[in-house]
Amino acid sequence: MLKTQDLSYWYQNANQPLFKNVNLEFEEGESYAILGHSGTGKTTFLSLIAGLDTPKDGAILLQDQSLKKIGLTNYRRKHVAIVFQAYNLFTYMSPLNNLLTAMAITESKHAGDREYATQVLRDLGIGEDLITRNVQHLSGGQQQRVAIARTMVCDARLVVADEPTGNLDEDNTQAVITQFQSIAHDQKKCVVIVTHELDVAAMCDHQYRLENRQFTKLA
Amino acid sequence: MNFCKRAWLNVWAKKGRSILLILVSAAILMFVLAGLLIRSAAVKATNQAKAEVGATVTLSANRQAAFKQMRKSSQSKSSKRSKLTLNPVKLSDATKIAKLKHVGSYNVTSTTSANAKSYDTVSTSTGMGGGGTSGGPGKMGGKTTTSTGDTQIDGVTATSLTSDFSDKQSKIVKGRGITSSDRNTNHVVIEKELASQNDLSVGDTMTIKKTTGNKGTVKVKVVGIYKASSSSASTAGPMSTDPSNTVYASYTLANSLKGSKYANTADSVTFNVTAPSQVSQVKKAGNKVISSSKYALSTDDSSYQTVKASMSSFEGFANKIVWLVAIAGTIILALIVILMIRERRFEIGVLLSLGEARWKIVAQFFTEMIMVLVVALAIAGVGGKFVGNQLGSQLMSQAATTTQTTSSMAGQGQGGGQAAMTTQRARQRLSWPLRSVRSIWPNSVGLVLPLPSCRLCWLQEASCAWNRVKS
Ligand SMILES: Nc1ncnc2c1ncn2[C@@H]1O[C@H](COP(=O)(O)OP(=O)(O)OP(=O)(O)O)[C@@H](O)[C@H]1O
Ligand SMILES: [Mg+2]
Repeated sequence: MLKTQDLSYWYQNANQPLFKNVNLEFEEGESYAILGHSGTGKTTFLSLIAGLDTPKDGAILLQDQSLKKIGLTNYRRKHVAIVFQAYNLFTYMSPLNNLLTAMAITESKHAGDREYATQVLRDLGIGEDLITRNVQHLSGGQQQRVAIARTMVCDARLVVADEPTGNLDEDNTQAVITQFQSIAHDQKKCVVIVTHELDVAAMCDHQYRLENRQFTKLA
Repeated sequence: MNFCKRAWLNVWAKKGRSILLILVSAAILMFVLAGLLIRSAAVKATNQAKAEVGATVTLSANRQAAFKQMRKSSQSKSSKRSKLTLNPVKLSDATKIAKLKHVGSYNVTSTTSANAKSYDTVSTSTGMGGGGTSGGPGKMGGKTTTSTGDTQIDGVTATSLTSDFSDKQSKIVKGRGITSSDRNTNHVVIEKELASQNDLSVGDTMTIKKTTGNKGTVKVKVVGIYKASSSSASTAGPMSTDPSNTVYASYTLANSLKGSKYANTADSVTFNVTAPSQVSQVKKAGNKVISSSKYALSTDDSSYQTVKASMSSFEGFANKIVWLVAIAGTIILALIVILMIRERRFEIGVLLSLGEARWKIVAQFFTEMIMVLVVALAIAGVGGKFVGNQLGSQLMSQAATTTQTTSSMAGQGQGGGQAAMTTQRARQRLSWPLRSVRSIWPNSVGLVLPLPSCRLCWLQEASCAWNRVKS
């Protein structure tokens, strides 16, 4: 579904590229974990495939169409959903309004469907008492689950997450990864997760390590 | 329209911050609004004053030249005492000047005196009796010695054109005033005191005795009765007759009482200049028409000048306020907005990652600001009334003092009574800025805040200059 073609990236002030000639393929219905030491460029790679930045060399193809051609704003709106480590939500809204807002912006096929959004939140353990409360009054794990719910109510086929469990305890981590797995296997979306935690990576279908400016597939 | 909803959710969720922002913007807007209102009122008032405050050009005998002439002759013929020779103004000159640009109506003045025959004059209890001096210029030097009578005859074109009547110092209480149609008639308008003392009313006739020539009698008919205000009586010195003995008539009657030589002449002719700013132009043009060795044109636009001066200082102050507050306010608001946006960079990031268009993000922030500003503007509208009130009354009293001092200074050079009237007139003009503030301001503001305010000028009663003028 998503392919990188000789992808290279370097920051202006750096003397060598973060990664060079990367050729990777991500398929729908599968989950991928990206491991690597701090500062190797995992977040940078994710921001490229999320359409937040443009590659210095090479190309990213979605169903054989380059992101440039699709248009980055359009790509972000229609084809990709992003979960960050923190600050994922609109702080001045309730979980329900966060979902409804995202559905409206991304023109989801469920746009305006409160029932559906409520149902998805309930499935993720965000009960009736929480969905109309301000998100700032939710715990970190609950907030992260709302962010995951958001990727589920939008139509985007690609879901990328940067250390989504970085701030969570073991139980919450387990729950969140299970949700990502269900997004991949039940919703048949493509999930790409950057993580430091080996056990999180182990739960995904495929694992890659970014090392020495190259991605290597782990057995 | 999704961004509108987001804007509303944000403003509503952060109530405390929104209220703070509303208050800050309201304070800024309030001062700007008050300044703008005062300024626009000042501009209005200045225009109004320009239109309403009269300026005049007066044609009279050239006294300076006459004095010079007198001194010269007294030096050459040292033995004899020479006399001041003043030339009465020719009406033919006046009609020429009247045709000049910017000259409106004009009033011919010819003053003389006569003696009472069929009636008794009013005598002031403290006065010196009937025989004071009266009669203005217009005594021909030479053979005819003119004795003065006890009744002053003020010959005019129309009473309404005289300063006493136009300034409401004198008022017609019965019948009518002298008009230009009274030319070549013996119609007169007498003072109320004189009328009641002699039991005279409109339609009655009275007889006066000439003080010149054959000293014959003339029958005149009363067409109107006027009331002179006490202030004009008090301006009269102890040596003059009681002001109630002043009789208004057409200048033709005054001229015929003076003698046949005076036909078609006048002591002075006062021209109203329609555009006060053009006074000096009119004077220049007028000087080309007349013989400057015999006649002189003097101007009086002092009230216009004082009004103009005080208004421009008023306007300047309001201008400064507007600029100062607007600049300071913009800086403060800009800083607040910058801080707000810095604080919200994560939110912007999320919006961008969702694929929201940039302009919609900007539009959301603008909508939030507009929501705040609308409420702030409403508050400023109410609060501006207070600020405008305070500022306005302070400026007013300042301006009124300036006017008073300037006009009394001008008055010293020109003659007291005139200056007193000028001051009063100028003070009435000055209440205008605040009156127009009231007209600009929606009436509903008054309903929201019922304050005891002057009916005429929008100010609170205690600080109202207009009220002070009236009392
Ligand atoms: N905007 C930038 N300009 C210049 N250099 C940058 C910029 N952002 C990141 N870098 C550098 O690029 C390198 C890769 O950064 P990146 O955030 O992709 O690392 P990461 O693999 O996500 O690390 P971590 O595991 O700590 O999150 C780092 O050395 C970082 O200092
Ligand atoms: Mg990172």
